[in-house]
Amino acid sequence: MAEPHRPLPTALLMPGTVRGGQVISLVEVAGSIGGKVDVPKLADELGADIAVLLPIIDAAEMLGLVRTEKGDVHLTELGLRFQKASKNKLKGLKDRIAAIEPFRTALELGAHGKPVTASQVAESLSDMGLKWHYQPEMNEALIKALLIHWAIYAGLLKYDGKSGKFTKA
Amino acid sequence: MSQGQLQVAAGTTIVTVDHVSLDYHKEKEPLPVLADVSLTAMKDELVAVTGPSGCGKSTLLRIIAGLVKPTAGSVKVLDSVVKGPRDDISMVFQNFVLLPWRTALENVLFGLSSRNDLSNEQKKAKAESALEIAGLSGFENVYPGELSGGMKQRVGVARALATDPRVMLLDEPFSSLDDLTAERLRKETYTLLINPQTSVQTVILVSHNVEEIIEVADKVVVLSARPASVVGEFKVDLPRPRNKKSEEFFQWVDKVYSLLS
Repeated sequence: MAEPHRPLPTALLMPGTVRGGQVISLVEVAGSIGGKVDVPKLADELGADIAVLLPIIDAAEMLGLVRTEKGDVHLTELGLRFQKASKNKLKGLKDRIAAIEPFRTALELGAHGKPVTASQVAESLSDMGLKWHYQPEMNEALIKALLIHWAIYAGLLKYDGKSGKFTKA
Repeated sequence: MSQGQLQVAAGTTIVTVDHVSLDYHKEKEPLPVLADVSLTAMKDELVAVTGPSGCGKSTLLRIIAGLVKPTAGSVKVLDSVVKGPRDDISMVFQNFVLLPWRTALENVLFGLSSRNDLSNEQKKAKAESALEIAGLSGFENVYPGELSGGMKQRVGVARALATDPRVMLLDEPFSSLDDLTAERLRKETYTLLINPQTSVQTVILVSHNVEEIIEVADKVVVLSARPASVVGEFKVDLPRPRNKKSEEFFQWVDKVYSLLS
């Protein structure tokens, strides 16, 4: 009997190369040109290659800041508010970021102040079939970078570079 | 941040570069690099210096910092002649210059290591405050290798701010960053550096990127090819934040290009 198909992951996964600052730039530029813009124009405005831009748009959409329709990027109500916020923009998205992987798992593993490493987060996510890279070392590095670049800015996690451990903020 | 820094009135000239020339000597023949360069930077002013590649812009910045001695002329901060590196002048470099084996906090503390007037607790508080101003609160214990280019540059800015400088010098601070990160940091530069939380009274930035300088500068100084001399100086009176797509913006960009070509 054939092995049953593993269900496809339904969790939201933050693209491994996208950083909070890039999403902030995208929303600011889209807002400055009217809140609705086609993707090639956005790439031109941001000086970014389409291949670099698409995952940034995915991340912004995952966070509820934009929606894409027929090749156009539209700022949502939340996106417009986000564009106008003057500081701590990512902290305003704390709850949304916490619902996306790998942040969700890191927060679960680090519940009650328990320190957690990127390796533990990667292992737990791999068990659920969620990976950012087929090589374990690269997968762990991408997860670690995501945790540092998003979760600290959002005020979800604290990080100690000496021990390599994250704790709930 | 501004504790101990003498307050000065609006319109005060903070930096005066007075007829500065520099010659290098190559096989006994003098090689002129800067020829009779003069400029001023006033309180709360961001002055951008631009010019053709290799004209000596960065050398001029090093002279202002007291790292290179001019052959002729002088640099003053208020009434005090710059004779060497000093605490009231800080510099942010293009390639970050962070120590990879030290955390962000330790890198900022390194900039305070010569401050014998401060206790370790005071130094730590200053370093933490500088990181917060630079937008890196929470990243104190992260190593440079774990930070993005933009964040590394913010550590560089924090390290420069921690010493309570009156004058902040920026040497091509955005050129090692990707376009998106550079754009974001450019937008923040003025308010990040010149605000009541910092001691900074004037900023001098060197860049070869004309759009960049029109985006950030109050005043632009254009240098000629080597030996560099001032070929144009004007105030950019566009309101902030500046719209890079506006006609006025393009007019300013054209004005600089016409002086450079």
